[in-house]
Amino acid sequence: MDGQYANDPEWADVTPIPLDDGSNEEVMPLASIAYPPEYIEATSYLRAVMAANEMSERALKLTQDVIALNPAHYTVWIYRAKILFALNKSLEEEMAWLNKVSLKYLKNYQIWHHRQVLMSSREHFPTIPPKELDFLMEMFAQDSKNYHVWTYRHWLVRHFKLWDSPREIEDIDALLKADVRNNSAWSHRYMLRFSPREEDVPDSGLANAGDMSTTPADKGRLAIVDEDMVDAELEYAQKAIVLAPENRSPWWYARGVLRAAGRGLGEWEEFAGRFVEGDAVKSTHAVELLAEVYAEDGEKGQKAVDLLTLLKERYDPIRKNYWDYRIKQIEVDV
Amino acid sequence: MAELSFNTERHVKYYLRCLKTFLPGAYTSNDSNRMLLAFFIISGLDILGALENKTTAEERQVYIDWLYRCQVPTGGFRGFSGTDFGEERRNADNEAWDPANVPATFFALVNLLILGDDLSAVKRRERLQWLPKLQRVDGSFGELLGPGERIEGDRDLRYCCCAAGIRYLLRGKHGKDVEDVKDIDVPKLVSFIEACQAYDGGMAESPFREPHTDTASFQLLSPGSEEFETLVAWLASRQTGEIDSDDEEEEDEEEDEDSGAEGPSLQEDGGSIEQKILSLPNLTPLTPDSIPCAGFNGRCNKVADTCYSFWNGATLMILDRYSVVDDVRNRRYLLEKVQHLVGGFGKAAGDPPDLLHSFFGMVSLAFQGEASLGCVDPALVTTERVTRHLAALPWHEQAPSAEAWKEVHL
Repeated sequence: MDGQYANDPEWADVTPIPLDDGSNEEVMPLASIAYPPEYIEATSYLRAVMAANEMSERALKLTQDVIALNPAHYTVWIYRAKILFALNKSLEEEMAWLNKVSLKYLKNYQIWHHRQVLMSSREHFPTIPPKELDFLMEMFAQDSKNYHVWTYRHWLVRHFKLWDSPREIEDIDALLKADVRNNSAWSHRYMLRFSPREEDVPDSGLANAGDMSTTPADKGRLAIVDEDMVDAELEYAQKAIVLAPENRSPWWYARGVLRAAGRGLGEWEEFAGRFVEGDAVKSTHAVELLAEVYAEDGEKGQKAVDLLTLLKERYDPIRKNYWDYRIKQIEVDV
Repeated sequence: MAELSFNTERHVKYYLRCLKTFLPGAYTSNDSNRMLLAFFIISGLDILGALENKTTAEERQVYIDWLYRCQVPTGGFRGFSGTDFGEERRNADNEAWDPANVPATFFALVNLLILGDDLSAVKRRERLQWLPKLQRVDGSFGELLGPGERIEGDRDLRYCCCAAGIRYLLRGKHGKDVEDVKDIDVPKLVSFIEACQAYDGGMAESPFREPHTDTASFQLLSPGSEEFETLVAWLASRQTGEIDSDDEEEEDEEEDEDSGAEGPSLQEDGGSIEQKILSLPNLTPLTPDSIPCAGFNGRCNKVADTCYSFWNGATLMILDRYSVVDDVRNRRYLLEKVQHLVGGFGKAAGDPPDLLHSFFGMVSLAFQGEASLGCVDPALVTTERVTRHLAALPWHEQAPSAEAWKEVHL
């Protein structure tokens, strides 16, 4: 083998372990890949240091090379984390390197999991590092709906108990100002406002959702409700709806808020009603919400059916079959 | 409009190329997912009806032999041969660097079944002993056991799904011959899954995260319940005429305030909400021709992506509510927008084909009864031939189906 590692005196004492895909035996590998030569070499050395369970500077550097070629490699990250702790490396430096890698591979999951593993070291990070949230905002500038970054941010909130930190809601406001359709930001907002915070609840979802004894109607309902906060959130959703009435996010956010507060959908009947006048419609989501309110009221079943028919025939043809399904449910109930 | 067709011959060629020649170097970043890529290739060929007539029994046997090479000595499968440094070197200090992987183990088992193997060389007991070690106190599953048997990997419904799949394949309905092996904590798992349902009815990867379709495929709800109906509503609203964010020409009649640098913004300004609503324009009614095709997105307010035609569709199949889908527009989206000339499907309009999107695009069509494709079981995502083969294994007495799957997991 003639490559970067084979010619490096630092690696002279290591015998690389080539990929053994069984080609010497009577087996036929599936999904074989035409690997670039650098990858073939770097992974051969990786197998050698892993087999020796080597915790060294050179192994650390090697993991960077493998990560650059295959950031989704699932053991190289765990190996890297173990070396970092074994050699007592500076985790600040590791974060600086990770920032660069994260900006290069936007869609990678392992990078963010690695970050979480490091950040969960209370010894190294007793509080959230000052630049951490700035970096996340830099990531959101590239892709404001990046699932991995949002997952990590969710974890950060729970780990450092940031629900009421002003920075959280400020960042969410800024992201929603930039794009009122950012459903990830809406979802994070809901978590900040309504998620359970108890230590011993292993991050249960909608309040008491995983508890089998909860009736469906009580799922997500908070035991103690800050009515002022609920009103403010409902108003926030209304302002967002007026900007983009076809945006599903704030409509469903509001439903979630009403649920958490134990208030019925009927509270929004008047607001939604302003978007519908006969056949003239300003928001399909308003029509759907009104239809639901009417359907709950047994006497108004026909009005609900009329509204859903409007969606089916005039405003939302893609969901024709779905609206038919809903209409049938109401007709059965009536 | 010319008759749209699924070009079976081209698709078979595409999969055979993936089976018999090297995948391009661009797949290097998917090296660790080779077991999954292998699943796409052989299950894909099987759904096309080509596995048994385009490969010989001898070839299928040497593929089976390779799959068993990926079984680690302690049981379970690695995701790719790349972590294998040789059994003779394996010891207690280094075995964590070549671990069995939960998704890879699930897909390896399914791959063996597709190729006709009877799983008799699978370390069944060891695998079932391993599974509970991967379950966390909150009920969720990790991806693998790292050094010191620490559970590694995110709290992610997809691992839960694969873990439940392994349990289903290896334990069978009554755990025949493995009755004494400690089972996973099923009620805990169910409660974790329930907690993943978000305020808008969708399922997130873990509680309180944004709902995402990859994870909705797991089903435990009863029809008529609020949870069930909001999940159906959420899945149905994933279907979208928004095909490509870069292509402003695409139909977008109902959203004239589409995102852009100058989009609407939540700034404080004067005027009451009531006045603002009054000044909003009415929506323009649509005719059936306004939106010719519609794929699916995986999250609210995202554009269509081929694989979500599968994820949403499979979940609706398991819920027995596929009929709420606009199958005509979905088919048109798949065949007209993302099917590629050389065979396979791309992720979005104009994209080159890749294995993941090729497979999921095709399975979505199979759910809708595309003439040249076999029936696909939505839970295992294999042909019915494979589910029958599984049912004939000694520890599976009754035919598995979406119903049995649900039953076992309740």
